[in-house]
Amino acid sequence: MSLNLAQIAIQIDSMVAKLQAGEEERQQRLAFALNTLRSQSTDLTSLKRKIETGKTTWLVAGIEDKLDAHYPAPPCPDDFVVLATDGSHIDVDRHRPARCFVINIGTVRLDYGQMPAAFLSSLPLLHFEEEDVVLSSTTGSQQEMIEGPLLGVKRSVEECRLLAELAKGVEAKLPIAALLDGSLVLWGLAGQVYPAFVVNALLENGLLKHLDELRQLSKTRQLALASYISFPRSTEVVNVLRLALCPYEPVDCDRYCASKSKERDCDNVAGLLDRELFERVLTEGERSALFSSHSSIVKEHYQGHQVHFFYIKMAEELTRIEVPQWVAEDKRLLDITHAIILDQCRRGQGYPVALSEAHEKAVITAADRDQFWQLVERSLARQNKLLKSSAKAKSKRTRWV
Amino acid sequence: MEIVTKVGEVIEANTKEFVAQCYQLHEPPPLGSLVKTKDAPGKIYGIVYHAETHSLEPGRHPIARGEEAKEEEEIFRNNPQLAKLLCTDFRALVVGYGEGNKFHHYLPPKPARIHNFVYLCTLDEVRNFTRSLDFLSLLMEANLAVSMDEIVAASLRYFSQAYDDQQAFLVKAGKELALLLSGELKRLNSILRRLK
Amino acid sequence: MTNRDLVNEERLGVVVSGSLTKGVEVRLDSSTSVEDMVVGRYVTIEGEKRRFFGMITDVTLEATDPKVAVTPPDISDPLIAEVIAGTTTYGKLHVSPYLTISSDAVSILEGPQPVKTVPAHFSMVKLASQRDVELVFGSEDEKQFYIGTPLDMETKVCLNVSEFAKRSNGVFGKSGTGKTFLTRLLLIGILQKQAAVSLVFDMHNEYGWEGRDERGHKVKGLKQLFPSRIAIFSLDEESSRRRKVNTDFVVKIGYDEIEPEDIGLLRQTLNLTEASTQAIYQLAREFGQRRWLGSLLSMEDGEATKELISKLNIHESTYRNLRRGLEKLRRFPFLVEQAPDNSVQRILDYLERGINVILEFGGYEDYAAYILVANMLSRRIHAQYQEKMEKAMGDDTARPRPLVITIEEAHRFLNPELSEQTIFGTIAREMRKYNVTLLVIDQRPSGIDDEIMSQIGTKITCLLDNERDVDSVLAGVTGRSELKSVLSKLETRQQALIFGHAVPMPVVIKTREYGSVASYKEFASPASSERRQKSEKDDLWAE
Repeated sequence: MSLNLAQIAIQIDSMVAKLQAGEEERQQRLAFALNTLRSQSTDLTSLKRKIETGKTTWLVAGIEDKLDAHYPAPPCPDDFVVLATDGSHIDVDRHRPARCFVINIGTVRLDYGQMPAAFLSSLPLLHFEEEDVVLSSTTGSQQEMIEGPLLGVKRSVEECRLLAELAKGVEAKLPIAALLDGSLVLWGLAGQVYPAFVVNALLENGLLKHLDELRQLSKTRQLALASYISFPRSTEVVNVLRLALCPYEPVDCDRYCASKSKERDCDNVAGLLDRELFERVLTEGERSALFSSHSSIVKEHYQGHQVHFFYIKMAEELTRIEVPQWVAEDKRLLDITHAIILDQCRRGQGYPVALSEAHEKAVITAADRDQFWQLVERSLARQNKLLKSSAKAKSKRTRWV
Repeated sequence: MEIVTKVGEVIEANTKEFVAQCYQLHEPPPLGSLVKTKDAPGKIYGIVYHAETHSLEPGRHPIARGEEAKEEEEIFRNNPQLAKLLCTDFRALVVGYGEGNKFHHYLPPKPARIHNFVYLCTLDEVRNFTRSLDFLSLLMEANLAVSMDEIVAASLRYFSQAYDDQQAFLVKAGKELALLLSGELKRLNSILRRLK
Repeated sequence: MTNRDLVNEERLGVVVSGSLTKGVEVRLDSSTSVEDMVVGRYVTIEGEKRRFFGMITDVTLEATDPKVAVTPPDISDPLIAEVIAGTTTYGKLHVSPYLTISSDAVSILEGPQPVKTVPAHFSMVKLASQRDVELVFGSEDEKQFYIGTPLDMETKVCLNVSEFAKRSNGVFGKSGTGKTFLTRLLLIGILQKQAAVSLVFDMHNEYGWEGRDERGHKVKGLKQLFPSRIAIFSLDEESSRRRKVNTDFVVKIGYDEIEPEDIGLLRQTLNLTEASTQAIYQLAREFGQRRWLGSLLSMEDGEATKELISKLNIHESTYRNLRRGLEKLRRFPFLVEQAPDNSVQRILDYLERGINVILEFGGYEDYAAYILVANMLSRRIHAQYQEKMEKAMGDDTARPRPLVITIEEAHRFLNPELSEQTIFGTIAREMRKYNVTLLVIDQRPSGIDDEIMSQIGTKITCLLDNERDVDSVLAGVTGRSELKSVLSKLETRQQALIFGHAVPMPVVIKTREYGSVASYKEFASPASSERRQKSEKDDLWAE
């Protein structure tokens, strides 16, 4: 065996012990945070202003509503459609003779009510054309290979594209909930990592184009788009509390709390997660108040589709749902999203059925991947192309003593 | 003119048997029935000896969903994706092949082809095929996961329905079995008892 | 299978094993029920090159699995019962093939041949058809007399009467099984086919005018059926008259007709000692063959007698014994000092004319009278026949008509002790040297001397239940053990097994009917032969 589990086991034990030790302290902090949440709900305007003017190093949510607002589940319509897409990919492998990648999107449509139906399929696409595997600037002087994390972003864009296609195909005039897995925010493009042309290609000419299509569709029918984040680790609302607790106004972390040694008021709620908070605030089935994302990438690029979010407490867990503003602003669409997601999770043992089926459809196993590369190599060999596969790949592929 | 019923599509085939997936979930041809699949220029005949409904994906198992439901159909209505995730297969033991009206009661030279349609044989075909009882020895010798006694009995029960005088056919088949099973009286008895 | 089915040529099964000496084993088809197979029935076997004709001699149950006997299957379930019958369980026949028959011209000409080989494996076995039986047993004609039908068939089994009459024959069976009826039939057969002329010693007055069946109904005797061909002689006029029987002659026997040899047989019946019988010969020497008995019976107890016997070396007690024994003879009214007529000659006259003689014994149903008279008359008649035959052979004149003498209770004449002394033993051994043969009727064949039995040409046997009787009847016959089982399965009435020279192979028959109006008509009419006989008789009278 290659991993010395015996040695790791001891270390795991230490970790568990430490976690248990910190638990009690955590509980206290949580209680305090809850109190703060409730007390801060009274004066929204001043809090809002503090948020607008604040300069923090951490992300703070935008607020519209009482912080501790909670809304019970609206009735679920009898007849409705759920659409979902999920994807997986085979990344570019530099050790292979051809530069290409596969994106496999699972698409699911489930009709409930009088005429139940199910349509499950997957669409695998091999990207090998120059313009598909490389992003180029308008002048052509700059190029970016689509691989690794960038490929992940491309995949998310494809998921949204196919979701829009699915939505176009629904003829019946029934309420539709279109679901995506993960965040609507393409975090991979944030932080100035990639040049503008890349962001442009994938956002403005990518994701946002498809969001536009969906918005267009929702003008003539009840179509809500939402993305589902399970076990969210975000702290945006907790950070609102931190802001609220901050004695300074306008809040400026760099200015006031540059030195690390200084104890800060906001530390009392630091380290907590939003989901821990709302776990206490919401009862099963309820959703929290709506919040908006103030991430820079959203502010700069997501025109017309500003990302809003809220939390829903499920039986098994607390989830974060992100919706574009045209859903957030439409109570009907919001209610549909809330109700249908709950219904889906009920049917799906705690996770939306449509998303889990889409995931199943998208899965590419290691065996699949190997078979794909074998197929590629065989096909190339038949064309008598010289195969220069790297020695490293060969040694990784066969286990030898 | 009897309607020919398409019951499935071959997904696995070898000299001795073929496996077909049904088009309708939970609707395989009955145990012991005679099915046929094309094998140019004629047809390959098989006796259904096993059927199974299972999840299409290995590793994904059906779970009980009907605690709140009043009837089973509700489960499928409430979870429309289930029908797409389950499939029913059946296995047929090859017992002969034929061209036109001529039947050979021994193994065909080539196995069935993948993706060939599988049809339920009409009563006329059943009668013509079972005019000779040679298929019984193929059945008896087969080494399958299911008890052969059950399959023999099921197929004879099924075939007898194609005859006006069911009893006469069963007696004729029973006598053939008695000869094949001479020395195994218990087995003969147990099969005969299942022929009612 | 109904009777009708059995008559059709239905296949029974196939030959699976066997040998020429022991017969063949036939495995029955599933569709053939074991219970329909009857021992004694005829079957044909379709061999590769020839057809065999044989008789079923045994039926056995077999199973492919010995477990069947330990845990019998549940046959109340009709499916299981039908399936198992003939497959797991099946029947087997033991068949004794006797003849080969064929349908080609040569074989028809030659007739059935005795079997010399066995049929090939898996030859098909069928129930014999009417045609097959006819082929074997022939049909009624001037030589063949219809005597009965085979089991479960309507075909006529015919006896070859001329073969029959060439030798001595026997009719056996325990009492009540129908020997008398059979004998009547045989006599009619001999009469109709003119194979011989008969002299019947009718101990119980059954053959002449009328008899009775076992239910007590009257049946006609031969005289009623063939009035011009039968003469009834009576030993007991009174009895005959009482029974309203028209006698043609009353037999009286004079003392002078009794010879010492005649007494020899009666030794046991008359309780004579050995010495007594010896004394008779001495007396005969003394008084002469014709006078010894008369003289003896008239001897008084006196000195003269004493002297005589001492002179002849006859012991006193022997004399007493002899006297006592012979006194018994006095009882017989038919024994007279001087007979008014010569009975022997009278009988011969009738026989010469072709008229059959039946001698009724009337009330004298005891053995002594029967043995004495039958033996005595037969000896005389035989002596005459011997003379005539020798003369005919010498100067080529006409031989005397063949004569068949019918005697009942044959074991009393033909047992090993006496067979040397009776004329019947001689006749049997002579085998028609002088144109005289016997027809013996008996219920205790084991009492008959083996040598005599071996001379009997054709035996007709009804049911015998004594093992020794069965063995003696079948002694020396091929296929003895098979026939034994057939014999023991005969019905108590109206069934007989015939084997010997007069039939091509052993046959079990249901005896031809005798006693109904229809049957009488049938006997009476072979109209052509009656006419022929009539014309013959006219010729005779014309002489």
